[in-house]
Amino acid sequence: VIQPPELDLSVLAPIATLGIGGMVVLLLEVTLSRVKSLGDSRIGVYLCGVSIAALFGAACSAGVAFAGGEARMFDAAHPLYQLDRFSSLVSALLCVGALLSCALAVTYLDALRINHGEFYALVLLSTAGMLFMVGSVDLIALFVGLETMSIPIYVLAGFDRRKLRSNESALKYFLIGSFATAVMLYGMALLYGATGATSFDGIRAGFDPQSPLALVGLGLLLVGFAFKLSSVPFHQWTPDVYEGAPAVVTAFMSVAVKTAAVAALLRVLGFALAPMGETLQGLLWGLAAASVIVGNLMAVVQDNLKRLLAYSSVAHAGYILIGFVAGGSDGYSAILFYLFAYTLMNLGAFGVIVALAQQGQECERVDSLAGLAVQRPTLAALMTLFMVSLAGIPGTVGFIGKFQIFMAAAQANQIPLAIIGLLMSVVSVYYYLRIPVLMYMREPADDGARMQTSVAEMAVLGFCAFFVLYLGIFPNGGFLLPWDVSVLDWARASVNPFFAS
Amino acid sequence: MAPAGELGLLSAITFLPLAVGCALVAAAAFVRGLPDSVFRLAGLGATLVAFLLSLQVFAGFDATNPGYQFVEYRTWIASYGINYFVGIDGISLVLVLLTTFLMPIVLLASAQDPAKSVKSYVFFMLFLETGMLGAFVSLNVFQFYLFWEVMLIPMYFIIGIWGGPRRIYAAVKFFLFTMAGSLLMLLAMLVLYYLHYEQTGTLNFDLVARPGIDALGLLDTRIPLLGEAVWWKTQTWLFAAFALAFAIKVPMFPLHTWLPDAHTEAPTAGSVVLAGVLLKMGTYGFIRFALPLFPGGAADLTPLLVTCGVIGIVYGSLVAMVQSDVKKLVAYSSVAHLGFVMLGMLAGNSQGLNGSVLQMVNHGISTGALFLLVGMIYERRHTRLIDAFGGIAKPMPVFAFFFAITTMSSIGLPLLNGFVGEFLILIGSYLAFPGATVIATSGVVLGAAYMLWMFRRVFFGPISNPENQGLIDLDLREKVVIVAMVIPMFWIGLYPETLLRRVEPSVLELMRQIESRSALSAQQPPAASALIAEAAQAGRQP
Repeated sequence: VIQPPELDLSVLAPIATLGIGGMVVLLLEVTLSRVKSLGDSRIGVYLCGVSIAALFGAACSAGVAFAGGEARMFDAAHPLYQLDRFSSLVSALLCVGALLSCALAVTYLDALRINHGEFYALVLLSTAGMLFMVGSVDLIALFVGLETMSIPIYVLAGFDRRKLRSNESALKYFLIGSFATAVMLYGMALLYGATGATSFDGIRAGFDPQSPLALVGLGLLLVGFAFKLSSVPFHQWTPDVYEGAPAVVTAFMSVAVKTAAVAALLRVLGFALAPMGETLQGLLWGLAAASVIVGNLMAVVQDNLKRLLAYSSVAHAGYILIGFVAGGSDGYSAILFYLFAYTLMNLGAFGVIVALAQQGQECERVDSLAGLAVQRPTLAALMTLFMVSLAGIPGTVGFIGKFQIFMAAAQANQIPLAIIGLLMSVVSVYYYLRIPVLMYMREPADDGARMQTSVAEMAVLGFCAFFVLYLGIFPNGGFLLPWDVSVLDWARASVNPFFAS
Repeated sequence: MAPAGELGLLSAITFLPLAVGCALVAAAAFVRGLPDSVFRLAGLGATLVAFLLSLQVFAGFDATNPGYQFVEYRTWIASYGINYFVGIDGISLVLVLLTTFLMPIVLLASAQDPAKSVKSYVFFMLFLETGMLGAFVSLNVFQFYLFWEVMLIPMYFIIGIWGGPRRIYAAVKFFLFTMAGSLLMLLAMLVLYYLHYEQTGTLNFDLVARPGIDALGLLDTRIPLLGEAVWWKTQTWLFAAFALAFAIKVPMFPLHTWLPDAHTEAPTAGSVVLAGVLLKMGTYGFIRFALPLFPGGAADLTPLLVTCGVIGIVYGSLVAMVQSDVKKLVAYSSVAHLGFVMLGMLAGNSQGLNGSVLQMVNHGISTGALFLLVGMIYERRHTRLIDAFGGIAKPMPVFAFFFAITTMSSIGLPLLNGFVGEFLILIGSYLAFPGATVIATSGVVLGAAYMLWMFRRVFFGPISNPENQGLIDLDLREKVVIVAMVIPMFWIGLYPETLLRRVEPSVLELMRQIESRSALSAQQPPAASALIAEAAQAGRQP
């Protein structure tokens, strides 16, 4: 007699919400576009509303799962996907990031005249893939999640299909991305060969640090992750793709893909490959140092705003990797906090770029920000705040993030790496501050029409700015706000189970 | 300690300016066309209230108590042992007073100065005041670091937006120099924090134990001397990291190169605050953190620091002598003056330390006044080149009079403030390093030379430039500003006891701390001493 498997369907609630939301958006678009009286922009508003509702629902159900606390499997007999504190926290963060990106998109897609409803569907489906990826406890599930996440993003990168750069960006991302995924898959195969298991539990049990097969497998797996993280030397695609893709896609991609990849890597390294120890640390050390140095130095010479932020995101990947090198519950919780910080400040910075796009034109060049403080003082002030936070100046969430990373490094006696990271932060101050310099200390190039910032964009920017400051001063909440935002405690509670066993 | 929920006086002084600044910005966002004068008056009012409140602190300060007073303590980020912990002793008291005293004057002096974006100017000035005061009253190392870094932002904008032609270069250089030093200090703070954790088992960034509680502060941590531990856990390296951050801010030769640029390009108000308060942040950091935390490391590096200090004095004076721009001259004179402050501090005796603290205040007042005066003449002539002037004592007698007093105060003429501080410093440093002091004394002579020479070329002789003929003398506002600066010059010169009485107990307490911590570092940890005894035993019995 075949026993029917005991499935816990409630575990899939966040992912299902997003998947269904994505379908609804697709169907709705087809239906609405038949209605002659509705213009593209009106349809966009409706679809955006639906997708925001879906993302909000998914974030809430992830939040409920987080509050519940215990780890639940979809199928206890065959562990593939697990909703525990860690995956639910990261899922909620991913949903919030996607939600903010969707809100930014409403007027932006209109301004660039690419207002197609598929955008929202792709964002939702990609987010669903990310959620699956961060909760996966098996290499196969991890791979499925990764691909579900990536393919919509390849499409999104080329969303501005009439523009050559956008097409180039999509193609480049797709080709290099598939190559990296193939390498990663090969690594997974080798790991399976070495350990006889694809589940993280099995790999952990069967891992033999002496086996060359396992080591090569591990190395190839890391390459795949390093690609998604855009860590040096696998970062070459980042500036081109970030530059070519529409700003709102870049915003979503830079924040969400990185968050998902870091979270998945955290589970793989922190749990499945925990016995690796020294060898792994050496590899990560090299990746971290190279990313921090190359990212920051290359950002200095950029003239294109999106390229600058692309190299800055390479550098931030380096800081996150420093947390991996430090390891332990301190290092891992620092990484989780950093993901919150990075989501808020990077989305904010891209949000300003999105808000500056008008009449089919992106705000691309760094120079085009000159004199912004006179033309649009609020946007200039917000941009300054986000730059200050990315540079890691105290009083902002970026500082608390870096502070914890370096604290973990000091705790783990990784002083030379910490010194490299800190000195490179000084370099980063130089290029981040170039932007306030232009906005406040130079005269505007032209009198440019004074555009109004839309309500949705203002709401997103306000949300990011508020939390950049609030978490910068009260990283553990407990002041002013009626609800609880003790992000430090959340991060710690999420990673602690890795160290329990 | 103020009970929870009650706002203490120090917090009120610290956050009042920023609160008013934020309120003004919010008001400007809602009320269209809010006149600039509202901003100026509210800013002036806020800084004046802060000054009055700090006078209240001054009056309520118990000079016989060497410990921290007006202490407030609140848990902030509990999981990392980060607390909101403020309090002052005599040393921070005088610096707080100097800050709150200078700010209203600066705002009054610049009542017409920046013609553009006055609203942001006032906001940044208020923001800056909160940053500086916060750093002076912080007793939690993390909190200190936060204020220390945050104050860079308003200063950066003040130089960068309202400065001279090379303002952007100067602002960026200022920011990068300071940031480079302070990030290494942050790392040293973290290493110290974990040393403390290893020894006590508690996570804590408080410098001293919070009053009424048996917990220990960072000052109770035993830090290994060189050679006892991995290199980054030794006093010398930790001290070096702190000292680098502070030495850049002081600035000490050869890290001073940002200063002439920043000073020259900054608007008058920026220069006054920079010279008056921001430079003191570096010397204060040495006194409050670097010296008491790492006395062993300080002892190792004292020869280097003294050498740099003396070179700074002589070099600063010589370079000041050949400047053609008055503001640059004053900027280089700061390098020399701060060299004296460092010398007195490193001497480590009560004369040297007292003189050093006093000289911090003196330099703030007299150099601040010099920058104000230079700003006044610049507003009239839009040049600061010495050659462009000559004989202007005739059209501007009042200006010349006050400039003369300020010059005398700066070169340390008896009866004026500069003399007392310099005298104490030289006594103290002669006791500690006689050779270096002899060389440094030449700086006093050189200082008199370049200041008086500049004074002569600007004010006396025939009026060579017809543009100087019609110069208008100081108006009422400018007179108020400069008289307010001159009063403390005489007061401190004639009766330094007002300040010294309050500073001295804290200086003695500091020396006691340094001594006891040196002894603490000299103690070998049990394991190591057992090893040494064993080795000695083995050596004696072949």
